[in-house]
Amino acid sequence: MPADGIPKGLTDPPAPLPPDIGEGTEEQTKATGTLILVFVFLAAFVVYYFVNWKLLSALWRIG
Amino acid sequence: MNWDFRTCPYTGLKVDKNADALMKVNAVVATVALLIGGLSAIGVLLTRWQAIHLFDAAWFYRLLTIHGMNMLIFFILFFEMAILYFASAVLLNSRVAAPKAGWVGFGLMLLGTILIEWMMFAGRADVLFTSYVPLRADPNFYLGVIFFAVGALTVVIQFFATLVIAKREKTYEGSVPLVTFGAATAAIIAVITLGHGAAVYIPTYLWSLGLMEMDAQIYRLVWWGLGHSSQQINVAAMVSVWYLLGAFTVGAVVINEKISRTAFVLYVLFISMASAHHLLVDPGMGPAWKVWNTSYAMYLAVLASMIHGFTVPAGIEVGQRLRGMTKGTFEWFRRAPWGDPGFSSLILSIIIFGFLGGITGVTFGTEQINIIAHNTLRIPGHFHATVVGGTALAFMGLTYYVIPLVFRKKVAFFPLAKMQPYIFAIGMTIFSIAMTFVGTFGVPRRHWDITFANSPFDLQFAPAVDLLLGVMGIGGLIAALGGGIYILITVWSVFLGTPMEGESA
Repeated sequence: MPADGIPKGLTDPPAPLPPDIGEGTEEQTKATGTLILVFVFLAAFVVYYFVNWKLLSALWRIG
Repeated sequence: MNWDFRTCPYTGLKVDKNADALMKVNAVVATVALLIGGLSAIGVLLTRWQAIHLFDAAWFYRLLTIHGMNMLIFFILFFEMAILYFASAVLLNSRVAAPKAGWVGFGLMLLGTILIEWMMFAGRADVLFTSYVPLRADPNFYLGVIFFAVGALTVVIQFFATLVIAKREKTYEGSVPLVTFGAATAAIIAVITLGHGAAVYIPTYLWSLGLMEMDAQIYRLVWWGLGHSSQQINVAAMVSVWYLLGAFTVGAVVINEKISRTAFVLYVLFISMASAHHLLVDPGMGPAWKVWNTSYAMYLAVLASMIHGFTVPAGIEVGQRLRGMTKGTFEWFRRAPWGDPGFSSLILSIIIFGFLGGITGVTFGTEQINIIAHNTLRIPGHFHATVVGGTALAFMGLTYYVIPLVFRKKVAFFPLAKMQPYIFAIGMTIFSIAMTFVGTFGVPRRHWDITFANSPFDLQFAPAVDLLLGVMGIGGLIAALGGGIYILITVWSVFLGTPMEGESA
């Protein structure tokens, strides 16, 4: 039950997981959403890293 | 000795009243430090915003010193001391090992803080956060740091002693919880940090009294064992808070205990070496030393953060899916409790820490790229994303649970509390990105006046710099507003707030 001034995690805490849930089904235990977010992170990382090397090469020309 | 416990009606945890009191005083002093650090931040910001340029040089450097010490040391470390009591005595249902020693530690930290604040506000320690030798502050400044460090070390030892007592008195079963394990790694790094602090500040104190010589090169090398490692205590504590908030808010699961614990151990083993990246353009260190410490050893610490950056959201996703949110790829994300300030702080903290702080940090940790980024505003742009957008925001989210659980008060202005993490995160994101971009144009950090007025030489920056400094200023003010709302809510809740049901006022 939501109450003013108390976060939801205390007034309406996450339902306890049933003891018989075991390992859970494949649908319940996969983390594909997180995996997609990780690839977004990786892409951002690659772009930023590349841009910095490009900037460095523009500042320090060789030859 | 009789130990006085209360049982938390929400978590069922048995709380030693000594731990309760020690958590409260540490959290209150942390908030006061945040207020001082935040006000000085506005002064620094409005001076670096070249169109406003509010303060003169002396007050700019004074406020920058005050800002750095209050935010990076006092706010964060007092808060972390509260976390250490929570992660040991409270989570393990144990008594505090030596309550009197806890009060002595707190007293020493407070004494050190007051001494340092006095020296800084009196203008006798305009040496910035790094206090690089041969800049010389009043000896009382260094003495204050020593008092603070000894006090913090006392609390850390108390943490380990409480773990031993909990184990001996069998107050828990099996292994310690992951949050306690993470706090233990933060405590181990704290010992490393404080050891470096003693090694550098005791001789510096003697040097400030004129009793010995100090080598500036050695000072920089040892000081960063303190300066960087202290921020790594933050990272370990922040990640522990991530796991805790995930469990509190959505019932996140730990998808693999061994992997998460191994990642914490990587912090302990490799983070001191990462201190070397602060010295990448230091002419006193050889290239082999720089390359080994930053290109190999540092990446193992980075790997740890990347592991946690995956396991925390994955634990949230699996926790949500196990509770039936299995539609599509992102139902678990859409239906998350975005109005819970604990949850929104957690997610925003992960995003800002990883995307802004992490990516820029690893890039600047590369020796060649560091040459073009070093001592520009790109560096504070990076660490404001890690320490402020990451650590401080996570601690703010935890506060919304600490107020009802520890102070047993309702969170005041709750609708405002729901918005606060978003305001703070948006402001800090704009601020960090603008600061990083403006640094790309070569604008130096820690510089009072980039127009170099009345200087014998002239340097013109690109016109975009003025625009970006303005954007940085606006972002900083929005973040300051978010920080101000947080302080208002916290102070009001604790001192004037409504007690929880069943509690007397």
